[in-house]
Amino acid sequence: MSTRDGWIRAPTLPARWRSALLLVPLLVLDVGVFLVPMGYLLRLSFTAQTPDGAFVEGSWATDGYQYVFETGLVHDVFGFTLGFGVLVTALSVAIGTAYAYAAWQATGWTKTVLLSGAVLSLFTTMVVKLFAVVLVFSPRGVVNDLLTGLGVVAEPLLLIDNLTGAVLAQLYIVVPYAILSVYAVLSTLDRGLVEAALDLGATRQRAAREVVLPHARPGIAVAGVVSFTWSVGAYAGPLLLGSGSEQTTGVLISRLLLTRFDWPAAAALSVVTIVVVFAVLLAALWRLGGDGGLLDA
Amino acid sequence: MRERALRWLFRGAVGLSFAFLALPLVLVVATAFDASGSVVFPPEQLSLAWFLQFPGEPLWVRSVANSLVVATGTMGVSTAVGTAAALAVRRLGGRRRTAVVGLAVLPLLVPGVVIGITMLTFFSRFGLQQSYLALVIAHSLWATPLTFSVMQATFSRFDWRLHEAARDLGAGPTRAFATVVVPNVRAGLVVAALVAFVVSLQEFVIALFLTGPDTRTVPVQAWNSLRQGLDPLVSVVSTILIVAVTLLIVVAGVLVGLDRLAADT
Repeated sequence: MSTRDGWIRAPTLPARWRSALLLVPLLVLDVGVFLVPMGYLLRLSFTAQTPDGAFVEGSWATDGYQYVFETGLVHDVFGFTLGFGVLVTALSVAIGTAYAYAAWQATGWTKTVLLSGAVLSLFTTMVVKLFAVVLVFSPRGVVNDLLTGLGVVAEPLLLIDNLTGAVLAQLYIVVPYAILSVYAVLSTLDRGLVEAALDLGATRQRAAREVVLPHARPGIAVAGVVSFTWSVGAYAGPLLLGSGSEQTTGVLISRLLLTRFDWPAAAALSVVTIVVVFAVLLAALWRLGGDGGLLDA
Repeated sequence: MRERALRWLFRGAVGLSFAFLALPLVLVVATAFDASGSVVFPPEQLSLAWFLQFPGEPLWVRSVANSLVVATGTMGVSTAVGTAAALAVRRLGGRRRTAVVGLAVLPLLVPGVVIGITMLTFFSRFGLQQSYLALVIAHSLWATPLTFSVMQATFSRFDWRLHEAARDLGAGPTRAFATVVVPNVRAGLVVAALVAFVVSLQEFVIALFLTGPDTRTVPVQAWNSLRQGLDPLVSVVSTILIVAVTLLIVVAGVLVGLDRLAADT
């Protein structure tokens, strides 16, 4: 790129100013209405609690953090949320990678059908997906009708209003993202490489393992990051399809804010959640060898 | 022999994943056509009764209008911001590029609930917490990384020598951009705009916190009625949403190919 621009005409100052100017809207949006509100949230987390609702304007206190670190309920919720996040991420990455690989290998109609399934699901609002999950997996739903009808099980399985339900619901939300982030990377892989491996005597599984998987790694990393972030922040899925014991930090945060009017605690719990999410992501990135390609995807 | 068995096992697993991914949506559509209104599958008697009742429900009609307003606003803001940023980043290299991309992607890494309550507390300082403006801005935060990525991919496929040629022949920067670049990247622009529109249309968690009775979008309205039990009108509105999104995907798919749509966003 630089040879193209640079060869014909050396980059001039006005052009550089122009590109700086083009960045202004993005900076205004991301700094003005994202970083600044996040800063405000951080400030809010250090205000004093008050029984009259919301928080004490202009005060400095650590009430919120004390609540987060000293309440047994919060520890339980955090533990559950992290475990839930890891479980959903593992399943989502496995399903996403297999599906993306199948879509990449497929040709013609099969490819179109597989890709449209993923894209349609990605762009369907999660409320509709959760509604669909209720219809499919409830005790009188399609899956149970099918299983009892075929005589596989005698009694309908309890698949919603418990952990299974919460996990299923969350999978419906994150799996499409996982599929498409792996697919995006796979679509840049030269098929010739796989054919070469096959010609040289590798079995299909070996070619998939030693040629396709290493290439797909950045996509798999993105799938993991997205699945994990969204599952740790899960809200609607566990709320609608879990039971009371599938409480995530997201559910607790909203309850603190909206029904207990304890803004400092809600803000502190949000800050801690963000810190934990980023810490886990950084650790994972570091383990994966500082994958610089992650941000480009 | 073992290899073949494994391959069939793999195909079975993928087929099952596809069925679980796509069929529930078909099911939702089917329940909308049931006469009884008890939301069961398969429908006992086909009827359009619930579709006919839908326009008479002021809450639902209002939510459709709200969704369209917010999605249109988000489409405008994030297509403009994403396109500008993609143009700017083209000239940046290395670290600065990573920094800009990182900043754009950052909001996607923060859980929706946290963004929702942050926006709620922040905007309520200015009395904007239930306004269209707040929701458009919040949705743009999530849609912009996608429009940015689509436009980046689009611009990287454009032959910038054409632009240079126009400039060398005496066109000003604005004219060269409008008459040479835009017609060539039109498909990409339309896809970016559609993606932004759909992202806003389907976003739920942020909207749940940032909307009030007058600004409730369709997903929030559907959620409220789902919390009270299964409602056939939810099937109807879901069907409308699924059909609308399918049409938009078909349009985008025809414009740039499904393969690119799946890879770029």
